Amino acid sequence: MKLECGIDKIKNAINQTEKVTGKNLTLPILSSILLIASGKSLKLRATNLSLGIEMEIPAKVEEEGIVAISGSVLANIFSNVFQNENVLIEGEDGNIVIKTKKSRIKLKGQQSDDFPTIPHVTGETFEIEAKKFIDGIKSVYYSSSVSDIKPEISSVYIYSNEDNLVFVSTDSFRLAEKKVKVKNLDEISGILIPFKNIPEILRTFGDFNGSIKVCFNKNQISFSSDNIYLTSRVIDGVFPDYRQIIPKESKTEAIMLKQDLLNGLKLSNIFSDKFNQVNLSVKPKEKIFELSSQNNDIGENKTSVDSALTGENIELGFNYKYFLDCFQSLTTDSLSIKFNQPSQPIVVSGVSDKSFTYLIMPMNR
Amino acid sequence: MDIKQLWKNCLIEIESGVSKANFSTWFKNTSILKEEDGIVYIAVPNEFVRDWLKNKYHKLITKTIADGFQTMRAVEYTITKIDNNNSSKNEAPKQIETYANKELPLKDLYINPEDNINPRYRFDSFIVGTFNELAYAASQAIIENPGTKYNPFFVYGQTGLGKTHLIQAVGNAIKDRYPGKKVCYITLEKFATDFVNSLQGNKANSFKEKYRKYDLLIIDDIQFIGKMEKIQEELFHTFNTFYENNKQIIFSSDKHPNHIPELVDRLKSRFAAGMIVDVSEPEYESRLAILKLKLQEMDINLEPETLDYIASAIQGNIRELEGSLNTIICQYRLKNRPLTLIEIKTLLKNSIKPKKNVAIKDVVKIVSDHYNLDETSIYEKTRRKEIVRARQVVMYILREDFNVSYPLIGQKLGGKDHTTVIHSYLKIKEELKDDNQLMQEIEQIRVMFK
Repeated sequence: MKLECGIDKIKNAINQTEKVTGKNLTLPILSSILLIASGKSLKLRATNLSLGIEMEIPAKVEEEGIVAISGSVLANIFSNVFQNENVLIEGEDGNIVIKTKKSRIKLKGQQSDDFPTIPHVTGETFEIEAKKFIDGIKSVYYSSSVSDIKPEISSVYIYSNEDNLVFVSTDSFRLAEKKVKVKNLDEISGILIPFKNIPEILRTFGDFNGSIKVCFNKNQISFSSDNIYLTSRVIDGVFPDYRQIIPKESKTEAIMLKQDLLNGLKLSNIFSDKFNQVNLSVKPKEKIFELSSQNNDIGENKTSVDSALTGENIELGFNYKYFLDCFQSLTTDSLSIKFNQPSQPIVVSGVSDKSFTYLIMPMNR
Repeated sequence: MDIKQLWKNCLIEIESGVSKANFSTWFKNTSILKEEDGIVYIAVPNEFVRDWLKNKYHKLITKTIADGFQTMRAVEYTITKIDNNNSSKNEAPKQIETYANKELPLKDLYINPEDNINPRYRFDSFIVGTFNELAYAASQAIIENPGTKYNPFFVYGQTGLGKTHLIQAVGNAIKDRYPGKKVCYITLEKFATDFVNSLQGNKANSFKEKYRKYDLLIIDDIQFIGKMEKIQEELFHTFNTFYENNKQIIFSSDKHPNHIPELVDRLKSRFAAGMIVDVSEPEYESRLAILKLKLQEMDINLEPETLDYIASAIQGNIRELEGSLNTIICQYRLKNRPLTLIEIKTLLKNSIKPKKNVAIKDVVKIVSDHYNLDETSIYEKTRRKEIVRARQVVMYILREDFNVSYPLIGQKLGGKDHTTVIHSYLKIKEELKDDNQLMQEIEQIRVMFK
């Protein structure tokens, strides 16, 4: 194998693919990136058997070939090579030599025959702007459960509803739902992407402009653009029927500025106990919306937040962390909080923004 | 041919042909799903594996299957969930259910700081036998009519017989049944500390209010109240408030109220006003039932003979019963095979106490026989050296092995003061440390009891 390519392009591709390499010790080959030189391009492939990625960069290929090289070594090398020029890669009996203007690096390769293939998904497809898709996932994925016990909820659930693509995740203490408008959407009954694979999807397509093609079946999902192909296992399971737990009506409603509530919560956080509990007291008649928390070792605190209130008095406690998490997904300046009973979920949404809904279970008092 | 066996044979053959790393990555979670019209369907966990087996190992697999199964025509790969995922699939509806009930999921995860009740203690895991059926029945009646039926409810019994479990289970049941009711479980020690703190901070009133706002108050280990005069007074007032407002109070103690030392009469009579029940030691059948329930909770199976042995060897205390069971399970997991009865006997040797009920007279007889003395001389008020020694040994054995109280020993051995008994007991204990002769004598005497 012999080829020449731009250093920026290969650097970026190695950084992206290296993140997907497997860290499991049973099959050491998984920690490497497979370099495939053919036609007019260089393909880089990596997989950890849950995710697989393939990136294609343009290259001047003089001699075709395949070689597997340790991902972390490649990433280290290219993070320390700064010249902005072309790089020459030559294969020598399973090893490779990388030549830049100033360095000559020889690397040991691994048996490329053992490198697994990446499934090419066939099934239903749809196209979506990468930005919208990333926005949808980013708005909800922090709510999924981190434990492996119930794979259904340690994942992000995606389905279609009319012309919306809906993203949902929950860890059974809170739930986030984001709706994204997509034109010409076919019906999608539901896809569960494992939570653990989400960060890589976000990293790969986070800065991507343009649209991506999503293809899925009941075992696998793939995202592809012109030069990136990313595929992930999907979970074969049933997401809880969450719609029935979103309260239809509310007894109390509070509307306030996001920043005001954020300041109040941050102050309460200093005094919250090890369960992160913050208590909330709402008295619409007296125009009181008060956060309080206490810690036997530090002290206590009461902070009121300016807000427009309607409905009945209510008092409850909640985990402030759950509240803080949703702020990144609220795009509006002011937000609305709806309450029912102290044992029913709190509903948080942006004022005049119906696309994002967030549920928090109160804590038992 | 059995397809399971077929695949097992194939795997053995394949294992020798590929590297260990490859085998464990690609073949570990595979199985043969079914065989239809000569097509063998192989179950694989995901698409990565399917592609790889198809591309890389298809020939090898086809060949090995064909060796054992001549009529095979083709091999297909199907993605299926592996077994442990199946079990979680069954749990999915449960998840929805908890949501539907709108329960707070956090509730079960920790002891509620507000009422101190451990959610683990429930009636589901409470074994009822003749030893505690009265206490159980009374507690059920209280759950039906809290505050009116048996108020106060006083449970007493030896340590480790499930008193705390019973009273906390009542608390949990009342919480479930009457969601608005405020329940509080507290040990007397905590109650006392709270009281002292409130006195220090000049907040006596807030202390009163704190406890009086509850609808059900459960105080555990009340026997320590003896020397705390102020606490007795405070408890008396708290009690009256509860009683007048028809709010339920539950106490537990290791003694009958009449036997709690220095308990003021007004409290004694108030405890007696409600229901006093004792929890005694579980009989064999209940012990067996408890062991079985514990095993079920831990999802472990032991042989019936083993259970039978534990249940008959460990008498009395349920806590010790659980402890012994845990020791055995620990060894069982370590060795990864069933234990023999002999091993179990060695493990439990230290937990098994000698028979508890023994007449003092018998002890005296055995000891005096051993020392070649007349039995009656032990009871006499004499200070002849050989008799004094024998008498001290009697006292030591009664105390050490049979846990008889000092005053009782003194009384039975000719009206001695309990301090005399303590002195004798300590003296022998001290001497045993470096007197081998005495040690042997006592060991010989002990053998006579078995």
